Amino acid sequence: MAKQTFTTGQVLTAAQMTSLQQTAMLGGAASAKTASYTLVAADAGTAISMSNASATTITVNTALFAAGDVVNITNLGAGTCTITAGTATVNTAASLALAQYESGVLEFISTSSAVFVKSAGASANSMTLLSTTTLSGTSTTISSISQDYTNLAIYISAPLYSAAAALRVKLYNNNNSKTSGVFGSTAASISSGYIDFANTTTQADTITSWLELKQYTTNNIGIAGGHYGGTTALSSVFAGADSGGGVNGMTSIVVTTVAGTSTFSSGTCRIYGVK
Amino acid sequence: MTRPIIRIHNTETDEIIDREMNDQEFAQYELDQAAFVAEQKQEQAKATAKSKLLDKLGITAEEAVLLLS
Repeated sequence: MAKQTFTTGQVLTAAQMTSLQQTAMLGGAASAKTASYTLVAADAGTAISMSNASATTITVNTALFAAGDVVNITNLGAGTCTITAGTATVNTAASLALAQYESGVLEFISTSSAVFVKSAGASANSMTLLSTTTLSGTSTTISSISQDYTNLAIYISAPLYSAAAALRVKLYNNNNSKTSGVFGSTAASISSGYIDFANTTTQADTITSWLELKQYTTNNIGIAGGHYGGTTALSSVFAGADSGGGVNGMTSIVVTTVAGTSTFSSGTCRIYGVK
Repeated sequence: MTRPIIRIHNTETDEIIDREMNDQEFAQYELDQAAFVAEQKQEQAKATAKSKLLDKLGITAEEAVLLLS
């Protein structure tokens, strides 16, 4: 709800109260823009969303807002949306540019000056937990993995399998193609579409196997990994690449064992996206 | 005969399904099993051949390592 000047004796409607409540809770429907826009006085206390595949601006002019007024701005489009000082002054400790799905609040400290407070979002090198999956069955598939990150970090903790066997991970894309590059090391191997870890899945102490997949959305995935365990002297690292280009845009992984029989009784697979 | 159960976790919808393998998955499962058994047999054959050779030479594996070092 846009900023109002209420008068004595005015009766508020339920709709106005609902809108005021949303605004007070930092919510409310956003005014959708699809092209560069210059703020007007009625934008005080409201939310604005921008959606455009190309770069856009939101211009801030003086003598429209009062100290204490705020405007929420969210960029939904692929094009960068930049908060631009028109006749007003706009300061920020961060950046005035909003990448897709970034947002911030424009806080006016006077009629001619505002501070843009950008919300903390995913930034370069940040890590985001994408999924936590309890291992079960003969194999566990984790599908529809987001393609919005540069690398993936995968941790498989304490997998317990009813029959002793080395852990195996397969990488797939939407066309059900697997990794086809070849790599071998003393502790693990990457070949014929799978990655094998040397540790068995029935050891009593906690063993974690990890994988880092670089550029997993491309056809040349870099693969590094290893495993480490509690009291058992297990530690190794390996690296390779899916140079065969078998997976172009990896979207799912399958966690199973080399033996492939019996079932997982416990274990957790966590996948993190890295920008 | 029931087929092995697999779990599928769709990270987009957070839906988890536990079901039997379908035809394609089961075919791949059987191929993997056959490959695993063949690999096990190959490793067993190698170990047996090595053991026989050491027996013929009348030395232990440690002694063979020392001879070759």
